[in-house]
Amino acid sequence: MKSPYARFALSRTAQAVVVVLLAYVFTFIVISVLPGDPVSSTLKNPDNGFTQDEIDKIVAYYGLDEPLLAQLWTSLTRFLTGDFGISLRSNLPVRDLIAQALPSTLILASTALVVAIVLAALIAWGTQVLPAKYGQGVPRALPSLFLSVPNFVIGLLLIQVFAFGLGLFRIIDSESPWSTFFAAIALGIPVSAQLAEVFIANLDHESRQEYVAVARSQGLRRTRVFAKHLVKPSALPTVTVLALIVGELLGGSLITESIFGRTGIGSLVQSAVASQDLPVLQAVVSLAAVVFVVVNLVADLAYPLLDPRVSLERALRSRAVSPAADQPIHSPLQEEVSVI
Amino acid sequence: MILRTRHTFRRAALAAAAAAATIALLAGCAGGGTPQASGASDEPKDGGDITFLIDSLGATWIPNSSSISSYQGNVWGEITDKLIYVDPDGKLSPWVAESWDQNDAATEFTIHLKDGVTFSDGTPLDAAAVVANIDVWAKGQPDKGIARIGLFPSANYVGAEAVDDSTVKVTFSKPTLSFIPTLGYHGSILISPKTLALPAEEQADLSNDIGSGPFVVKSWKEGDNVVLAKRDDYSWGPEALGHTGPAYLDSITYKIVAEPTLRTGSVESGQADVAYNASPQELDALKDEGFVVGVPRYLGFANGYALNVTTAPFGDKAVRQAFSHGIDRDEILSTVYTDDWHAAETFVQSNVPEATDHTDAFAYDPDKAEELLDDAGWVKGADGIREKDGQQLAVTLYANPYLATSKAIDELVAQQLAKIGFKIDIEAYDVVTYGQKVIGNKTLAANEITRSFVDIGTIPGVLTASNPGDEDWFKVGTSDATLNDLAAQVSSATDTDSRAKTFDELQQYVLEQGYFVPITQIVQRIYVQTPDLKDVTYNGLAYANYYTAWLDR
Repeated sequence: MKSPYARFALSRTAQAVVVVLLAYVFTFIVISVLPGDPVSSTLKNPDNGFTQDEIDKIVAYYGLDEPLLAQLWTSLTRFLTGDFGISLRSNLPVRDLIAQALPSTLILASTALVVAIVLAALIAWGTQVLPAKYGQGVPRALPSLFLSVPNFVIGLLLIQVFAFGLGLFRIIDSESPWSTFFAAIALGIPVSAQLAEVFIANLDHESRQEYVAVARSQGLRRTRVFAKHLVKPSALPTVTVLALIVGELLGGSLITESIFGRTGIGSLVQSAVASQDLPVLQAVVSLAAVVFVVVNLVADLAYPLLDPRVSLERALRSRAVSPAADQPIHSPLQEEVSVI
Repeated sequence: MILRTRHTFRRAALAAAAAAATIALLAGCAGGGTPQASGASDEPKDGGDITFLIDSLGATWIPNSSSISSYQGNVWGEITDKLIYVDPDGKLSPWVAESWDQNDAATEFTIHLKDGVTFSDGTPLDAAAVVANIDVWAKGQPDKGIARIGLFPSANYVGAEAVDDSTVKVTFSKPTLSFIPTLGYHGSILISPKTLALPAEEQADLSNDIGSGPFVVKSWKEGDNVVLAKRDDYSWGPEALGHTGPAYLDSITYKIVAEPTLRTGSVESGQADVAYNASPQELDALKDEGFVVGVPRYLGFANGYALNVTTAPFGDKAVRQAFSHGIDRDEILSTVYTDDWHAAETFVQSNVPEATDHTDAFAYDPDKAEELLDDAGWVKGADGIREKDGQQLAVTLYANPYLATSKAIDELVAQQLAKIGFKIDIEAYDVVTYGQKVIGNKTLAANEITRSFVDIGTIPGVLTASNPGDEDWFKVGTSDATLNDLAAQVSSATDTDSRAKTFDELQQYVLEQGYFVPITQIVQRIYVQTPDLKDVTYNGLAYANYYTAWLDR
């Protein structure tokens, strides 16, 4: 532990591991206090007519009659060895379910991200480049419009027009390129609004700077000022919002996946919640926690390397002694996590 | 409002020629639930792929657990066979079982199997395989966490043995007339013994579930789709369906589309062929557009309330009768449903072979209902709610999440009963919470019933509490000698004619006592399909048989 950076990295990693474990235990407790379980609720389907005795036997097989602490211990030790257990609902290994669902969600989310960035850039471009008469009204109104129309309404409209009306894609080929593209539009539109808001605010700020006035006074056209002088400084703060948007995309995928008939993490969570499938929920929440913690850890660890102004000694000390006295390490990612 | 625009949009989107042609073709076969073979003049064609949009593909694919699900039952019906076929009138006919006989006491049954039937992995469907299946239906595999099949007469089951390769003998400790009909139940699917020997997590993988049906699983993705392909060497379909040899269709794709309007929308725009479970209100518009609507009724209980005599206010017979006579079932039929739904005639569906008409015992008669309550001492207060001994005439109804129309019906019932002085509260829960709070809760005043069965031998076990495991719907226990006596006669009957006679008395008695309050006959499975799909038949459990279907394209 000689180098201050190694100490810093180790303490942050330890914190991250604790956060993941706490998230795991917390999820377990929250789901466990809910009444019911998928096994006995299936057995209680009125079409069956099982006696309580029969139900008890089956429930015992799944270990659902054991004390909560015993269940938590089994689940936690499995998790630590990388085994997510068997889904109570489908009886299939949870690892396989996630492996099957993840690629589709990743494709949808990344396409939606591209859609969101392109849309946000177009809107922002409009506010700066269009003649004031149009540039102030329409593009500036779009973000609030996009935010206020629910995701599923956009999805249903896209399906009515492009699938049923024009026949560009079919609901049943939910993984086809066109189908993915339109699902990504439905998912990307609300996200683009947030990006656009930040981007426009920064563009407005930059465009009031003197260097822009100088550029304009030299007779440069709006498009050229936008592309040469405004985009770069305004885009940087926008990029920091992207991490937040990743969460937004994963959350929004639930509705989009169900509307467009796609299988993915969203639909997996939905059915697991509906049937209180503890092992699946446990695995997905832990996966999300791991993703978030790792993203932040990477940012935290990278920050001192990227920004020489950050002193590690002070950063470490500030945690232990008096946080108020020193400037804390500032990571935009970290702030957003605490907000969530 | 989305609905309105959608209809206009779709109508425009449909090719005019296709629409005109289909409406003409439809005239003969729009009556859902009946086989349409007679009307079609064209010869069936081989080939074609259909897409079937479904709300969900249920929970697990473990055969015992999933074959009784209204969703997965559709898939199982195509990839597996049963020993016996049950038609929509409850008539039994040979399938994998060529014939069967029973002793006079109805305790020993001998099943003679067809020769040459094989599972799709090539292993023979012989007596040993049938014995293995019957054992699992009756007992489940508790060591693997696999339940027995609900409604199988397990309580009396002694055992099954293979007499020779094609003969199976099954023994029960008491008369069990319901055994043979239950072999046609949607749970009683024949699965390869190799599959049954697998651990639960491998049985849950549909590609391991080997059946002997006209279709085999080509591929599947959990929570997304199942693709079935025709089995070319299939030649043992139910004779009652009038078709031998392999299926006509090449493949069936079951795809989950959770949103109901998108399911029907896909069929309307020609992107899919069948949409499962549309809302009843949508059906007339779909028919007008030329689509075929199948609303088969299953054999089972009518939709209704089982009243709990141990919970106020239903300990009072007059209150139960008033509750029953206070419900205007015609208004429910015309408000919540379409013409395809039928009025209840008794507490079982009228297609159950032994069902008889007892409409008078629960007919809508608000005057009589008020008189009954007046005479029983229930006095109307200023707010219109009746009271007796400081107790309000109040009942809580729990809308059944397994039936989409349940809440709307409860609301109408609440309005109707309010007029005669009842105070009705309604609570609606999701499936999981409903299972937790409502099902099996012995303290609720009224339980809504939707349940299928193949044989009335199942009924005594739910109406009374004479055997362990009985459900005792009305919580009468052994207190009502008449009910217990009639139920015992039905369950111990050794011939169907005398049983039918007793069952007629039982129906009258249960309805007169106000124990069971029928609402309407039930349609739990609704099929909206393209008119190009011909000769679809429905079995006694209201599932479509695509074995007989073909595409006219």
